[in-house]
Formats: sequence, C-alpha cells, structure tokens
Amino acid sequence: MIEGPNRAGRSGLAPIAALLLAACQESLPTAATDDLVRGGVAVEVILPFEDFGTRTRVFGGYGRASELGGGFIAHAFGPGTGGVDEEGLEAVTLLRFGRYPGFASVTDTTGTTRPDSSLTFLSGRIAARFDTLASVLPGPVEVTARAITEPWDGVSANWEYAIDTLDNHVLWSQPGGGVLEEIGSAVWDPATDGDSLHITVDSARVALWADTLNLARGVHLSTDHPGVRLQLRSALMWLETLPSINPDTLVEVLADTEATSFIYDPIPRAPDGSLRVGGAPAWRTVIDLDIPSTLNGPPDLCEVLGCPLEITDTHVSYAALQLTTHAESPAFAPSDTLTIDLRMVMVPDILPKSPLGPGTTGLAGIALAPQLFRPPAGQVVEVPMTTVVRDLLRGETTDGDPVSSTVALLSTFEPLSIEYASFEDAVGPGAPRLRMILNFSRGSGG
Amino acid sequence: MGHRIPPLVLLATLLAVFPSGAGAQSFLGYRALGLPVGAVEARAVALGNLGIGLPGVQINASDPASAAGVLFPTVSVSMQPTWGDFNLDGQTGTARTTRFPMLGIGYPVLSADGTITVSLSGHMEQRWAGERDRIVNLGGIDVPVNDRFETNGGSSVARVGWAQRLGDRFALGASLGTYIGRLDEDFERTLDSLVVGNDVRSYEENSSWRYGGYTFSAGFMADPHDLIHLAGAVEWSGDLTQKPRVATGEPGLSYSIPLRLSGGATGRLSQRLHINTSFVYQDWSVAQGFEDGVVSDEKLSYGAGLEMQLIRRETRSFPLRLGYRRSALPFGYRDQGAIETSWSLGLGVNLVEVEGVRFGWMDFAAERGTRMSAPLSENFWRATISLGISSS
Repeated sequence: MIEGPNRAGRSGLAPIAALLLAACQESLPTAATDDLVRGGVAVEVILPFEDFGTRTRVFGGYGRASELGGGFIAHAFGPGTGGVDEEGLEAVTLLRFGRYPGFASVTDTTGTTRPDSSLTFLSGRIAARFDTLASVLPGPVEVTARAITEPWDGVSANWEYAIDTLDNHVLWSQPGGGVLEEIGSAVWDPATDGDSLHITVDSARVALWADTLNLARGVHLSTDHPGVRLQLRSALMWLETLPSINPDTLVEVLADTEATSFIYDPIPRAPDGSLRVGGAPAWRTVIDLDIPSTLNGPPDLCEVLGCPLEITDTHVSYAALQLTTHAESPAFAPSDTLTIDLRMVMVPDILPKSPLGPGTTGLAGIALAPQLFRPPAGQVVEVPMTTVVRDLLRGETTDGDPVSSTVALLSTFEPLSIEYASFEDAVGPGAPRLRMILNFSRGSGG
Repeated sequence: MGHRIPPLVLLATLLAVFPSGAGAQSFLGYRALGLPVGAVEARAVALGNLGIGLPGVQINASDPASAAGVLFPTVSVSMQPTWGDFNLDGQTGTARTTRFPMLGIGYPVLSADGTITVSLSGHMEQRWAGERDRIVNLGGIDVPVNDRFETNGGSSVARVGWAQRLGDRFALGASLGTYIGRLDEDFERTLDSLVVGNDVRSYEENSSWRYGGYTFSAGFMADPHDLIHLAGAVEWSGDLTQKPRVATGEPGLSYSIPLRLSGGATGRLSQRLHINTSFVYQDWSVAQGFEDGVVSDEKLSYGAGLEMQLIRRETRSFPLRLGYRRSALPFGYRDQGAIETSWSLGLGVNLVEVEGVRFGWMDFAAERGTRMSAPLSENFWRATISLGISSS
C-alpha cells in the first residue's frame, strides 16, 4: 500500500509530461471585429521650427582633407557667390610616395621565379584613378604632374601652409604648393580612358625620390582647364626596374604611397542664412531642440482626443526633421550622393568639441541626391529622428542612458567629400520642420 | 518512501509556479472579468459535477469540507488541454490551450481530527485576440494599418482552509482565499511600410494589471445514510480589485463578486453504481462595477453524472464516468446571457484503493461542449487529467 502510490506517481508522470509537452502549443482565438479592437487615432503632425527648436548653429573644421583618402583637382570651378570668390575653386592633389621595394619576384633565364634584391630603377609611372560620376568636367582634361620642392606635411598641408600643425606653421613659398618643377602631363578623357590617367616620371626624378629622408619629395596634380573639378580616388606610382637575374626583362613594381591629400582655395566662409553639412574639413549643423510634450492641434486630433493632449514616447511612430535644400556655392555643390546622419550632442556646453551619441540613421545614413541642391533647390528632405524624439520625450534612452536635446547633422563619415549640403536656416519659409506620425489608442477590448 | 514523492510534488510545484499556463480561450473572456474557470478535477469533470458533493479522499477548492476525509498527506493536481473552434458573426477560427485548473494539498492533523488544506485554483480567464485592418489618412495619404489587441491572463484564488471531522458522518470546513493573477493587454498598430516606409515604427500600447481581493467560504459534508453523501458551501467575496502593476497614475478598478451558493449530492444505486448531482447559484446581476449590459442574467448552473465501477479488485478499481453539465456564465458576448453545456466521459484509475479510500489515482475526462452567446458560438473538446497521491 505504501509502495503503490509511489509507483503510481512515477508511472503517472510520463503521460502527464507527454501531455504537457503536447499541449504546450498555444493559439489564441483571433477574430476581426470592431467589438474586439476599437482601434486608435493616427495623425500626422508637422511642427514649425519655433514649436520644436530654439536655435541652429553651424560649426566647421572637423577632420582634415588628408583623412579623405583621395584628392580633388579643380580650376576656376563654380565661380560665384556663397563663400567662394569670383574666380572659383582651385584644388590640387598632393601625393608622396615612399620607400621603393627592396626586391621583386623575377623569372630568370631558366624559367624559375626567384626573388631579386638587386634592382635598378629606370623610370616611373603615376597611375591616377578618378571617380567618373563625382568628377565634373566638360570633356577631355589635361592633368599636369609637378614635383614639390619644399618640405611639406602630408597630414596638415593646406593651400597656405606646407606644414600646419599645432606647434609648427610653415608657409608655402607661394600659396598652392610652393615652387614646383614640371614632371609631365596627360589628358584624361573618361570616354576613352575609363577612370585612369597615367603620367610618366623620368629616371632622374625616380632616383631623387628614392631618398625617403627628403621631406620635399611629392607630386602636385593640377589642371589648367577652367570649370573642372575632378575627384581622385587613388594614385599609385609604378616603377620600371631592371632585375639583375634577368637583365633582358623589365619588371614593374609598386612604390609605397605615404600621403594622399589635397589643398584648395578658397576655404568656404561660414554660412550666412543657411545650414551646412559635409565638406572637408567637415561642417556640422547643430540644432537645439525643445520637443513639446503636449499638443494643441491639429484640430481633427483635438476633436477626437481633446487638447491639450499629452504625448509620450510610445505615441511617436515616426518623427523626421524636414529640411529644405539650399543652393549655395556651385564650387562645393554636391556632384554625387552625400550621406548624412543625425546624432545627439552629448555635452553641448563644450561645442564644437562635444562627444556625440550614436548614429540614428543606420550605417548608410540618409542619402541626398546631388540634384536636390541644384538651383533653385528648395526640395524638402527628411532625416528620420524617431529614436531621438522618443528618447527626449522619455527623458532617457531605452537603455537608461542620458539624452541631450541638442542634435548635430553631419556627414556619415568626416570628411566624406569636399562637397557639402546646404539647407535653409531656421528663419524663413524653408525653416526646418518636425514631422511626426502619432498614434493614440482609444482603448480596446470589452 | 518519502524520497519517492518529490517528483510529483515537484510537478505540482511547477504547475503552481507557472500559472501563466492557465488559459481558457474564449471570446467570452473579452467582457469584464472573462470566462470562469472551474476549479475541478477530472473526476468531477467526468461526472458533470460542479466541484461539490463527491465522496472520497479529495482536495476540492469549492468544497471546503471535502478534505475532512483525508487520512494522509495528499497532493492532487490537474491539467486541462482544450481544443476549440468558434463562429463569431460568420467568422470562424480555432484555438488551443492548456490550463492547470487546480492544485490541492491536504495535510491531516490527526490529533485535532481535521485537515489543513492549501489550494491554488483558477477563477476567471481572459485570453483572446482581435485584429482589424483599417485605412487611416496621414497627410492626405491613405495608409493601410493593422490593429491587433491581445489580452492574456486572468485571476486565480489561493486558499488556505481547515476541514473538521465531527463524528463519522459529518464535517465542516472553511477556507480563506485571496485573488491573485495578472492581466496583460497589448495593442499594436502596424502601418503599411510600403506606403510609409520602414522608418515608421509600430505603435504599441501595453498595460498590465494585477488582481487582488479576498474570499471566504464555508461548507459542510454529511453522510446521513450509507447510501447518501451530501455537501453544501457558501462563498463570500470582497471586491475583486484590478490595479495597474506599474504605478502610472491610472485608477484601478473594483468589482463586486456576488455570493456563491453551491450544493451537491451523491447516491449509491448499487455496489458499483453511483449517481451525483450538483448546482451553483450565483446572481451576477447584483454585482457592482460592471458596465451596463455586460452581466448575464443567467444564475443557475447544474450538472449530474453516473459513476460505475467497471473493474474492482482488492486494491484497485477502474470506474467509468458519464456526466452532463450546464454552466451559467457571468458575462455574455453582447447583451445576451451565456451558457456553456458539455457532455463528458471519463475513466478513473485507482491504482491503490483500500476499503474505498484512494491512495494513488489518475483520472481522465473528455468533454465535448458548446458555449452560446449570440452572435458567438464556440465548440470545444477538453481533456482533464488529474493525478493524486495520498500517503503517509
């Protein structure tokens, strides 16, 4: 009698457990009737700037041109207003090639490939690759390579200064690269050459540049063709060598590229009457927000739910900053898609150097097509900021981190391009607006 | 032998710890407090019994004196999978769920001739979902949206009681209980991303409530004759409160629960055949706190059944059971009353039984039932499995 119940308990567990597992799949009865789901109110609200923002500011100087990893070549490009003198944009690309290879793999007379460390460098060839979409040119363009003769810094050099670091400022002997010596030139015609241009470097110059202690070595790429702006993706120098193990053969080896940068003139002035994002060094637009927690409109919303109506983060299904594009300087107008991001400025008091919060528009950012900025511009673009508005209404992020009511519009990478995007500022009909899609439930169920 | 009991105790404990498994799924759960959950075991289900008036060793939450027959520490637990379909104004669908309507523990105090009882049983349940496709206008653009409202949860009752034997043929019992449980409500509006883009998020609104309140019940059982077993109980409840689980400033709700009167009787027709009947009377029309038209006028529930010992050995028996039950549900779908009826068939496996006292048992019941409350009709198949052990 004592053992029986326990046997029963043991044997009973198996079917119970089996049934438990078998019955674990739950499915709710679901029907589509207004009885069960009364639904809610969805409304689109567009707030003028004065209802959600207090101030806009534009800061420049983020990053360096050398961080772009490429270069620009321009001459008398986009003359006009908006921060550029009447003469237009002048830009040259500066290159510095480094140590030559110490050996090359060479096929000897017996057909065996062997390393050869005794190389004789005969001549060189600069191979430049351009961005055919981002470059602006009316047709074939002659590009000239000149040798730099003054010491310069591949990171800090700009139009005026060969070296422009914190404690060392050295002017070019003449702006734009100092005294130069002609190397050669070539015509780039995208229609026939694709994206590449080749300029030959003579043996004397190759021998001179073998001295890596010479801080004056470098290449200055420019054009004299007015109205041209070329975007250089990369530049390499191929060296023609004569190997010792097979003197009947010429071998091309690649020199290191130590620096790729560009310098340009003029530097755009701070905008007056517009907002600016992008450029190299980059510009940022900073906006101080004051997102309202109550609404007094629109009328159809007030009619249904009553006003003033309190809104919380959960009510915001979508929020986006609406910006009106502005046609500013053609010299820096986008010729290719720019991508921008919106991030919180975590310590606004120390702007322009405040740390920023994480990006809110994803890795790709918001893509802005170049035609949006062509005169007369005035196109409305949206930068989603749902997360920001929700966080501000909540008072903290979903992870409990602090939030800031100051946000920055900036390019996804800084610098992204010499080009920048311009928008109408907070004064005038094109002022930024906040578009929100709000949802309110009127209660559901019985 | 004590070391062999824990698996069952563990199972019982698990079932008690995870009351979320309790779920009656019906659109009748959409009104007010939802659909009642019968706090009954498989034996009672099979007999169409409403949880009172059955003789023998048992822990029955709605029959406070029934535990007086417990001679050894006893644990019983029930499990109830349900498969249903519905027709709501022409819409049809199915539902499936499993619930654990009853967990009971009895511990006899021989020196006082009584038994302490602890039970956790279902009370009301609200598990259903509604969906609706709509068009909303946003900035002059018609945007398709999908609204979904889902509710999960319900109330249960945790009771502590005492059953006192007064002689061989009479016993009294009383229990004090507290309403527990939670209700989660989720509303989600999804906007068509083809129209508004992927950046637009769904709107979600969630609320979570907890139930509270107290209940007291008292009852008797009597065997006025060797062939007759009687039981009766009355249950009084304070207000059942529904408060936000997270303080949001939202006011709570309070519902009065009407007095519940119940009774049952079992008669022995022969050595192998018993008949039983039971009723519950509860007038919800006097209850306060509900919106107009929510409470049903139906008041009386009843059921009856037959139990026949198919096989009877010295220490084992296998009873076959048949029953019918008609339950008045407190809340109709709209403004009409709601009734649940079911026919049931069951089999008991009394693995150890000595002189009519069960020490180890498994009971199975299968029900085929319907619920009607125009324009809603629901059909269901429901199985109930109960397992019990009574051992020193």
